[in-house]
Amino acid sequence: MTTTTTLPTAPEATPVASPSGADAAPAASRLSATGLIRSEWIKLRSVRSTVWSYALLVAFSLGLAAVMSASLDLQGADVSQVPAANQAIFVAQASTFGVFFGQLIVAVLGVLSISGEYSTGMIRSTLAAVPKRLPALWAKVVVLFGTTFLVGLVSTVGSHLVSSAVLSGKGLQAGLFEPTVLFPVLGGALYLGLIAVFALGVGTIVRNGAGGIAVVLGLLLLVPMVLQLIPAAWATSLLPYLISNAGINMFGLMSFSEVPIAWWVDLLVVLGWIAASLIGAAALLKRRDA
Amino acid sequence: MIQAQALTKRYGSKTAVDAVEFEVQPGKVTGLLGPNGAGKSTTMRMIVGLDRPSAGSVTVNGKHYREHPAPLREVGVLLDAKAVHTGRSARNHLLAMAATHGIPAGRVDEVIELTGLASVARKRVGGFSLGMGQRLGIAAALLGDPAVLILDEPVNGLDPEGVQWVRRLMRHLAAEGRTVLLSSHLMSEMALTADHLIMLGRGRVIADAPVADVIGGAGGDSVRVRSPQATRLATLLAGPDVTVTAGEQDTLEVTGISAVEIGERAAGAGIVLHELTSIGASLEDAYMALTQNEVEYRTGGSAELQEAAR
Repeated sequence: MTTTTTLPTAPEATPVASPSGADAAPAASRLSATGLIRSEWIKLRSVRSTVWSYALLVAFSLGLAAVMSASLDLQGADVSQVPAANQAIFVAQASTFGVFFGQLIVAVLGVLSISGEYSTGMIRSTLAAVPKRLPALWAKVVVLFGTTFLVGLVSTVGSHLVSSAVLSGKGLQAGLFEPTVLFPVLGGALYLGLIAVFALGVGTIVRNGAGGIAVVLGLLLLVPMVLQLIPAAWATSLLPYLISNAGINMFGLMSFSEVPIAWWVDLLVVLGWIAASLIGAAALLKRRDA
Repeated sequence: MIQAQALTKRYGSKTAVDAVEFEVQPGKVTGLLGPNGAGKSTTMRMIVGLDRPSAGSVTVNGKHYREHPAPLREVGVLLDAKAVHTGRSARNHLLAMAATHGIPAGRVDEVIELTGLASVARKRVGGFSLGMGQRLGIAAALLGDPAVLILDEPVNGLDPEGVQWVRRLMRHLAAEGRTVLLSSHLMSEMALTADHLIMLGRGRVIADAPVADVIGGAGGDSVRVRSPQATRLATLLAGPDVTVTAGEQDTLEVTGISAVEIGERAAGAGIVLHELTSIGASLEDAYMALTQNEVEYRTGGSAELQEAAR
């Protein structure tokens, strides 16, 4: 064995300075919240499924806004007779129509962002770097929510631009900053971010892509349908408390309740679902062997 | 320094690691050796907190792994080459790992160069061969320039040059005063790389000693001697502590008497020798002797072979 001071390099490697070279981890480097968030951001943006999902979300939203606006047939009615408030409601609906489909895309993305780590074994690298475990989950929540909210906002604002352009040709007008429009546009993006986080929690609990997607899509699509089919009072009274119904009700487009529910009650319902999913995820992540 | 105290892991009714006690010292390469199912990987996973011990504890540099403020700077770990998202490039994987600790991107490029991954660093890991995956795992382990390295089967899937490189790397890191713990099922590899051995069998420590002592404990050296008058020689050598086994073509395997002694006695009796060779016990022999009763999954065939070999 030679007593060289350089670290042996692989046969294919070019010679490199000592292992503790200029760029070696400085003594100050340690786990930090900002570091974990940066790490999760790198992880999120560096897999193809993320890019595809978000591109699909924006494309679907803009496309649906265009289709819905273009298909509006006023049958020769005099638009000037339509009250401004009703005009604004229609513009808002066209701007947020994509959210109904978008929630399915971000739900799948939310599950995949963690189930992909389990299926590939990446989770062991993640947890070896963050042995306290929960900080890694919280960083994932922050990054997934922030990114999905922003892309959601691009979708809803973009949809508003598209539908405004089409509808103004037909005489319907409503600006983005009219409360009737702005609230749904912001609320729709918020809802997309929250659904992604809910799905992330479910994915962490289930640890399996197919299983997690089945559970989340079942809750978003199937359960509301089943409850509507059951001709009993209890089934109908449960409807407003489903995560999807409360979320959609929240941005004021559709109501699932006989009595109007305040938007903040709907938001609390959605947050309740998310709390349940994240508390379950945190408890299991902390306890289970990886 | 890694210290395990009564470290135990049970899966249901099965005990994978059974009240194991050991210390892995800095400045040398320690090998963790044992048959499949002996508890090597489970022990390594417990050290870095991926598996929770059922009882007992294990500390790294005096603390539980999870209590260190910068875990990646304390311990670099290669548990298996597949602990990487297959859809991500090698460089992005390392950048994401480095970001958790605020380790600069320059260090990422450094470990990429060091492990010879530069040409594939921007390719997705899903297309990597086993050997490239192994290099990436080693790169990740070196990222935090850690004082302790834990590597589970690091030479798996590497080509001969790669194996030699890992061997030199381990020895170099230990010479710098770091703690190096590696497991391998390749005994010859262990004999070449490790200074100290911890041998596990059915979840228990069955040997914890310098490599030389483990090999020495495997029983005495033997001598191979070949002579056209083998039968006469065998009678001549016979004694209370001497075993003589006849081999093929006038060959004898003799234990309990030195090669010098055999040569002198043969000369005295005028017996012609065609070969006289001392054979040292190998780590393989020592391993077989120690794990004879500890092998969990033993095939009928190999069990018979082992019986026959005795």
